[in-house]
Amino acid sequence: MKKNNGKEKKAKLEQKTEHGSVSRRGFLKTGLGLGALATASGLALNLTKKGAHAAQFKPMPKKWDETYDVVVIGSGFAGLSAAIEAKNAGAKVTVIEKMPVHGGNSIINGGDFCAPDTKLQKAAGVKDSPVLMYADMMKAGQYLNHPELARIVANQSRDALEWSESYVGAQFTRLNYHGGHSVKRANQTINASGSELVNKMFAKIKELGVNVQTRTKLVSFITNKDGRIVGIEVLKGYRFPDEKSGKVAYIKAARAVVLTSGGFSRDLALRQVEDPRLTDKFESTNQPGATGEALLAACMAGAMNVQMDWIQLGPWTSPDEKGFGHVPLFCERLVGYGPMIDPKTGKRFFKETGNRKERADAIILLGHPVIILGDSYAVPKQVFPNALQKGIEAGAIKKFNTLEDLAKNYDIPVDAFRQEMARWNSFVEKKKDDDFDCMIFPDAKPTVTGPFYAARLWPKVHHTMGGLVIDKNAQVIGFDFKPVKGLYAAGEVTGGVHGAVRLGGVAMADCIVFGRIAGQNAAKEKAWG
Amino acid sequence: MIQTKCRKSREMAKAKFFIALFVPLFFLAILVSTGLSAPKKVSTAKPGDCAACHESKRVLPPDHPDTKQMGLSACSPCHQKMGESSLRTKMPVSHTHNLAGVTCEKCHGKAQKRQAVEMAKCITCHNPAKLVEKTAKIKPENPHTSPHYGDSLDCNLCHHQHEKSENYCNQCHQFNFNVP
Repeated sequence: MKKNNGKEKKAKLEQKTEHGSVSRRGFLKTGLGLGALATASGLALNLTKKGAHAAQFKPMPKKWDETYDVVVIGSGFAGLSAAIEAKNAGAKVTVIEKMPVHGGNSIINGGDFCAPDTKLQKAAGVKDSPVLMYADMMKAGQYLNHPELARIVANQSRDALEWSESYVGAQFTRLNYHGGHSVKRANQTINASGSELVNKMFAKIKELGVNVQTRTKLVSFITNKDGRIVGIEVLKGYRFPDEKSGKVAYIKAARAVVLTSGGFSRDLALRQVEDPRLTDKFESTNQPGATGEALLAACMAGAMNVQMDWIQLGPWTSPDEKGFGHVPLFCERLVGYGPMIDPKTGKRFFKETGNRKERADAIILLGHPVIILGDSYAVPKQVFPNALQKGIEAGAIKKFNTLEDLAKNYDIPVDAFRQEMARWNSFVEKKKDDDFDCMIFPDAKPTVTGPFYAARLWPKVHHTMGGLVIDKNAQVIGFDFKPVKGLYAAGEVTGGVHGAVRLGGVAMADCIVFGRIAGQNAAKEKAWG
Repeated sequence: MIQTKCRKSREMAKAKFFIALFVPLFFLAILVSTGLSAPKKVSTAKPGDCAACHESKRVLPPDHPDTKQMGLSACSPCHQKMGESSLRTKMPVSHTHNLAGVTCEKCHGKAQKRQAVEMAKCITCHNPAKLVEKTAKIKPENPHTSPHYGDSLDCNLCHHQHEKSENYCNQCHQFNFNVP
């Protein structure tokens, strides 16, 4: 049962107000909202979180160490988009990043950017529309998506892609498919990595004269007597994950702060508060800095959060390699071309082109890793050669001359497997899967041509759908249902766009669309002083 | 019954007192002893003069020849670069630097209070493009370039000068690099 809905939050807030009138600022001084709640539940679950700061109200500093119009927190897709737009709107901008390197998760992402009606789709003869993309997002999101936000992403993602190409200079050269979408709509960067876009954005902001301060960690937001965010307290020279490192400094944001600090997939304490199943038994695909303290700091400053317990596991990761690895790029290119097999039975068990949540849940339910496989027609055609080669070198992808060899290697009952492959091939022939309704692509062929390639799959924590509540202007909404003045947010730190499930390739779209909106609006804020 | 309980609680209180007294003292002792054994960073020390910083602590094997007058080139006949006796990873890189004539001042400057050295300083001697070329054949990946950061990653993320170096890539990957 999902518990973190707005109604309950409102109820909690009302409960609090019974003990006296609690304005947002009062709330900050006393209970400190959800941050405090999270800490309390953390204790109840016997979780300790290293370096967690006790909630406290931050008074205005006597002196600001630095002053900007717009302060962006985080240097991934959303942060860099916001910084570019704010700068181009005439604001003086800085970007802070707690890690020693820029780019967050964006620089290690797979480079798939979903957008409808793109050049690559037209060249491939794919018919698509914002309406269809929105429908796919809502269906996968179990209709928990905040419709207005989802619609903005669907409607504006093509513009965002074109801006990434024509203004930023990133190249997108390949059209991919991701489970849960009705059509191929993932426009992939030339190097199959988000780094193509991040590094070109990074070069762009340097060219525009925006500085990025790495090893600079947000400690807390600073609010004035009207409850407006006026700046932030940071640790400079912070050395992740040493909470004792760094020197305190105060950065004034004359117009606004844009929070683009990403999700909390690597935050074991916070993710277990939200979803107690997600213990350290589950690895994550994320960079180590994907922790939730900036999100919680925003809550302590009055920001409301939603749907925090919808945490996505990637169903395409391998237990035979660390982190994201190479297997996701192998697996996702093969769904709709090759079958996914339960090695215990030798049979298929789920719709290969199902969305991430459905597939991850199906694998976790089996309780052991499963196999994805493809033949020498599908694999060279579909899989990025570098990913295949690296996956093989890492030992996570294996090559077999015959299906029997493959079965033997994974302890699959050979006869059952042989029958199942014949059945799968018959579905491919008629382009219709009678068993699980897998989408079979028009150019798919029966899996018969050796050698065969296979990999084991076991889910890893990948994306946190929940986060801060924002409106259509990327303005953060508070526990009083009013905008938190001076605070904008975009990307994975926000919640609502994806509802229960984020579809593959929509993170890039979300980050660029809302990052730009946040940057533009932050620059437009009236300076407070 | 009540008496036993009282005695028990008194004993427990006593035990708690000793724990409260000795546990912090114990940790303090560890801190002091490790503090004392940490080598000094004497900028005037001759490269091969271990005792100048390490004092009486023995840092070389007992049968090791005297190093007082040695520079890096004198080490190499015995410690071949990639061989079993290689000094790579056995000694902080600051030592190799110092032995090769790169003194503290050459990186940190003359300031009384030494600051951390920026990557810009490293690349005045170590050209990134040349490093990429030099390590192109290392498996499974070239450690000096990546699809994420190209050759722009800060040297100090892996190559620490005054403490053990690390393999930064391994926070997500599994590359068995031998990081000097």
